[in-house]
This record gives sequence, structure tokens and C-alpha cells, in this order.
Amino acid sequence: MTTVPIRQIICAVRSGPESRETVKRAIAVALESGAKLTFFHVMDAEFLGYATHGTLRVVYHELGEMGKFVMLILCDRARARGVAQVDYLLREGNVRTQLRKLAIETGAEVMVIGRPTKSSTKNLFKAAEFDAFVADLEKEGNLRVIQVEPAPIAEKDLQGGLVP
Amino acid sequence: MIDEIRAQVRVWLAALGPGERWSGLRARVRKQFRLSLLTTALLGICLVLVLTPRRVRIEGPASSQLEVGTAMVMGSVQNRQEQAIVAAEVAAVPAAGGEPIAEGLTQTDGRYILVLPKGLPEKLTVEIRRDHYGKVAVELTSADIGSLRDGRPVVLPPTVLLRSRGPAFWITTLIFLAVLGLMATGKQHNTLAALVGVASLFAVSYLGSPVREDLFIFDFRSALLYVDWNVIFLIMGMMIVIAVVEETGVFQWLAFKSYQISGGRRWLLLAILMTVTGITSALLDNVTTMLLMAPITVQIALALGMNPLALLMPEVLASNVFGISTLIGTPTNILIGSYARISFGGFLWNLTPGVMLALGGLIVYGEWQYRRELASGNGASADLLQKLSERGRIVQPEELRKAGWVGAAMLALFLLGDRVHLLPSVTALVGATALLAWIKPDMEKMMEAVDWTTLVFFIAIFIVVGAVQEVGVISYVAEGMGWLVGGNLVLAMLAVIWTGAILSTVIANIPFTAAMLPVVGHLSARVPGAETKVLFYCLAVGSAMGGNGSLIGASANMVTAGIAERAGFPITYAYFLKKGAPAVLVTVGLATLWLLLRFYVLG
Repeated sequence: MTTVPIRQIICAVRSGPESRETVKRAIAVALESGAKLTFFHVMDAEFLGYATHGTLRVVYHELGEMGKFVMLILCDRARARGVAQVDYLLREGNVRTQLRKLAIETGAEVMVIGRPTKSSTKNLFKAAEFDAFVADLEKEGNLRVIQVEPAPIAEKDLQGGLVP
Repeated sequence: MIDEIRAQVRVWLAALGPGERWSGLRARVRKQFRLSLLTTALLGICLVLVLTPRRVRIEGPASSQLEVGTAMVMGSVQNRQEQAIVAAEVAAVPAAGGEPIAEGLTQTDGRYILVLPKGLPEKLTVEIRRDHYGKVAVELTSADIGSLRDGRPVVLPPTVLLRSRGPAFWITTLIFLAVLGLMATGKQHNTLAALVGVASLFAVSYLGSPVREDLFIFDFRSALLYVDWNVIFLIMGMMIVIAVVEETGVFQWLAFKSYQISGGRRWLLLAILMTVTGITSALLDNVTTMLLMAPITVQIALALGMNPLALLMPEVLASNVFGISTLIGTPTNILIGSYARISFGGFLWNLTPGVMLALGGLIVYGEWQYRRELASGNGASADLLQKLSERGRIVQPEELRKAGWVGAAMLALFLLGDRVHLLPSVTALVGATALLAWIKPDMEKMMEAVDWTTLVFFIAIFIVVGAVQEVGVISYVAEGMGWLVGGNLVLAMLAVIWTGAILSTVIANIPFTAAMLPVVGHLSARVPGAETKVLFYCLAVGSAMGGNGSLIGASANMVTAGIAERAGFPITYAYFLKKGAPAVLVTVGLATLWLLLRFYVLG
């Protein structure tokens, strides 16, 4: 069995308390392998369908700025923990499609992604479909996907802070 | 003109690469064509409206055609709520049977005149019928017949038509409930849900009535009479103004300025953000305010190391509460103002003190509810705050200055326009046009900023609610509420406020408010003391503040939840209910106290 050297790790993350374990794990793998860590955030604006609103251009821009800000926080935290090479990628559109595209385009060897939670919050993936999606991702992108089980969020976790 | 077009085409071509020229030009022409088509359609609608006679055509003779001594029967037709019934068919029929000898329709005030021919029969009956009502026959007495033969007119007492509940009644009710259900579940876009309702109503009317006459609901022309074009044009005008303002970066600047003024004290930041968001929502609209304030609020919270929901939730609650202090602050106020002819100043003077009281209560509630989040946190990050300061600035100062002047002029017209019978929709359109002419923005971009989906939504909702009104559902609700409250003003106020508040948490408040308007109109005419339009103010308070009770209660809630979720802080239905429902009790309670003080105690 040959071990493929890891040069780039993608951490697909939405941020917030539920992403805490995913980010921790990605940082740990990056530190262990010395690979470049890329945080990846997809800005999907499907929720705007709830608001009958025409001026989406400005709103998209604002959402993009917010996503960028959140990614900058993650990058700072990773650097503070000793990751030498870290950056972020921000895209807009459908999360599944963008994840697939990224897996193929970047040539990263590892992707770290959080599993859907059992909480009542809206998830991008349902637990049942997640495994099939990950299998497709590994096959199409020729990479290894590390799935992280999110830690349960306590009320006090929500009282402050973003990720570790 | 042709030279100008040629010059414009040359500019376009120069801006494009050689390979792109024709495809690019075609795309631009297509876009322009679509835009022109849309504008033409809109102007067409306006033209039709202008040219459409406002009054129902009466099939009687003009007074100049009447000879002295012409036999005439006059009267009026009304429903049980003493409202005029328009376009009821009235016919004078010989009691022995046979064809009517005279026919007519009731006017908008419910009156009719039948001009009878000479040679009247011994007995004559006046038959009155209208779709969705039971038929009534009034037999003329021999004295009446005698008067008519002598050439003296006969005036009959007002005739009351009773509603009939046929298949059309039940089908319309089902369609209305289905539309509300589709909106509440979020399975369909609100506009699509409303359009499905409209299509179903017409399908039943046009395809069903040839098979069974009692399936007829209304025809296209009658349906359009229910659309309030004052509302549509007011919303459209305000959309254009907002489209200009939101590009200037003023929302982001306001949010960041709030942080700066608070000096990093979170409790103060929360109070300032709630106040700023509230005032902005009153002058623009809640959804735009939250769409543009929420992302930067999330960033401020993260930079301060605190849970963004501690700022976002109170912010959206304040937005929904303060919006009702002006005519243009919420779509429900626009509906109420147009229907009840309440001016901008009317909302301002009668509701703003109560709204400020409610906002005060809401700030206290927000501080208490999020006391832990406001007290804890990882500490502010100087780097992140520095990054934020670069974003929190005005990006188009010149445009903002111009928009400020036009906005101030519009505000003055909104306030004073009522004295010269200037409709708010006219003020909004004039203001929007002036702003466009002054700033000269990319017209295509500006027209894209007009949310046609919302305008179609409103048109469709007016038609759906019109159908419910047409078949009599609203009359039954009005009668029921009238019976419940009796003649008691306080009871009526409480019923309207709290019914609105409770129902707005579970159903979309725009169709709800539209449906409640005639009900409140009926109560206002019946309950002593309600002629001050107090019940309409109660409806404004209930339907808008009630939206804070659940995630689906207001569009602003949904977009805020969407933005929070994108930052990794989801707002679930249960979470919103937990934080929002007590807020409804606090704010609606305080607003109720104000309304009772203003209209009952002070009079």
C-alpha cells in the first residue's frame, strides 16, 4: 500500500459552532502533514426566495463580504495554531455542485467535511444521502474525504466565539 | 435621434471584442427589448385603468331623456352589513308572469332606477338578483301601481339581499385556505402560490359555470376591480428609491457607526442597533433593511467574539415593530392606509408614540433575553474590527446626498400631500422619477431592481381576497366578529389587535391583512367610537407585530434566518418561537395600552 503525500487539504466549512470539530480536525491534519490548508465556503443564496426582492446584486455582494470575513477569521485561527500555509476559497451557487467542481479542479488530496447533524437545524445534506455524495466526491476528485462528526452544541457554546 | 442611436451602437461595439461584437450586441438588444416590453406592458395596464370607467354602467336612461310623468321605480340594494350591493340585476316583472317590462343594474351606491313603459299590468313585482346572493321579489301594492299610472315615481325601501352559500362559496374558501397553506409551508414561492389561487378561481368561474351556473365566482373584469393600484404604484415607487439608496453603502455605514458609538459596550450596541434598524425600517422597508444590515451585524458580532444571534434577533424584531410607525414602513400599512384612507401623518401621529413605547419594551426584553451573550465572549479582535471599518463607509456619497434631498422632499409630500388629496403612490412615483432624473443611473439596472415578483404577488393576492369578498366569506367573518364584540369599542380593539397578532404568527400577514380590511371596515361602521379609524390602527399593530411570533411571520425574519445560517448560526423555527413569542406579548401589550389611551381614554 503506497501513501500519497498530502500537499493540499480542503476544509469545506460553513462556520459557526457546528463547524468547530471540522475545523479542529482540518488544522490537525495540516499540522501533521505540513500541507497547505484551504478553507472553502460556498455562498448559496437560495433563502432569498423567501423574500420577494429584486435588488439581489447588492445582497450577493454583502453575503460575499460576510463569507470572506468568516473565512479570514478561520485563516487567522489556523495560523495562530501553527499552520504555515493557509488560504480560503469562496464561491457562490449550489453547495453540492461547487464541492464537486472544487474536488476536481484543485487536485487536493484530502477534503475535511462535517457530517450532517441530527439537530433540527436545516442541513445541506440529509444523513442518508451524505455517504453517497462523499463516495462520488472521492471517486470524481480522486481524493480522500475525512468526515467529522460535529460535537453537540451546548447553550453556553452559543454565548460567544465562533470556532476553537 | 438616429445619430444618437448610431453613436450608442458604436460605443457598444467599441467596448466589445471582435468575436463578441454581434453576440454581445444581440444580448444587449434582447435585454433592451425585454425591458421595453415590460415597460410597455406596465404603461398599458395604467392606460386601461385610466380609460376604464370607475362606475358601473347603469342601463337606465339619462335624466335628460326622461319625459315629465314617466313611470319610475327607484330604490337601493344593500347587504346585511348595510353596504351597497353593486351591479345587482333589477327587473320589473308582471306578477302574472312573462318577460320583464324594465331592467337595470344597481350603481356603486347600490341605487337603481327602473323606467316603466306605459300600460302597466294590474300587478307588478320588482325582482332583484345578484350572484352569490339569494333572489328577492318585492310586490308593488295597488297604491304604488296607481301612483305609477299617474306618472308619480315610486321609491321602495332599501332591499336587503341575503348571502347564499353555493358551491362557489365553498370552492373559493378552499382555494383561499390552500393559498395561505402553500405560503405558510413555504412549499411554493409566495407569488406562485397566489397565482395558482388566481388561476384556480378563473378556471372554476370560466370552465365550471357553463356546466353549473352556481360555480361562477367572478369574471376577469370584476376581479381587476379588486386590485388596489394605489398600493401597487406606491410599492413600485419606493422600490426604485430603495434601489438607489442601497447602493450607497449607507446601511453598512449605519451598522458600523452603531458599533463605534457604542464604544464596544455590547448592551449599548444592541440598543443602538435596534433603534437604528427600527428607524430605517420605518422609512424604507424591513426586508431591504435586514438584507443589508444583517451581514455586517454578523461581522461585528464575530469581531467582538459574540454570538451573532444576540444582535440579529433583537434587530429583526425591532425592524418589524418600528416599521408600522409610517405608511410606507410595512406592506401591511400600505394596504391599510390605502383602504382606509389613512395618511402618512395619520400613522405617524397615532402610532409612533405607541411604537416607541413598544420598542423601549423590546430593547429591555432583548437586553434581558441575551444578557449572557452580551456579558460573555472572546473579546474584540482589533484586526477584524480594522477590516470592518474599511467596509462600513459610504461608497457613493454624491448619490446618497441627492437621495437624501429627494427623500426629504418625499417625506414632506407624504406628510402634506393629504391636504391636497395627493395620493401616496403619486408622491412615490414622482420622487422615484425625480431621483432617477437627477442621479441618471443605469436605467436597466434600476428597472431590474424593481421587484416585479412582489408586484405580481400583490395583484394576485388582491384578486384572491377579492374572490373571498365576492362570494361572501368576508361578510360572514365580519358578522361573526360584529356579534362577538357587540357595540363595545374596547372589545373590538382587543379582538382586532390580538386576532391579528395571533394569526399573523401562523399565516402570511399580507393576505391576512388584505382579507381583514373589509371586516374591520364593517366593524368601524358599526361600533360606536370606531369612526376614528382606530380599528385600522389596531389591525396595523396586530398584523405587523404578530409577525415577530414565528419564523414565517414576516419576510424579514426569513431573510435574517437565511443570512445567519450562512454564517453558521441557524435560526430554527423553535428558536425563533422561543425568543419571538414573548417579544410579541411585550410589544403588542404595550402598543395596546397606547391605543387604548389614545383612542379610548383621550378620545
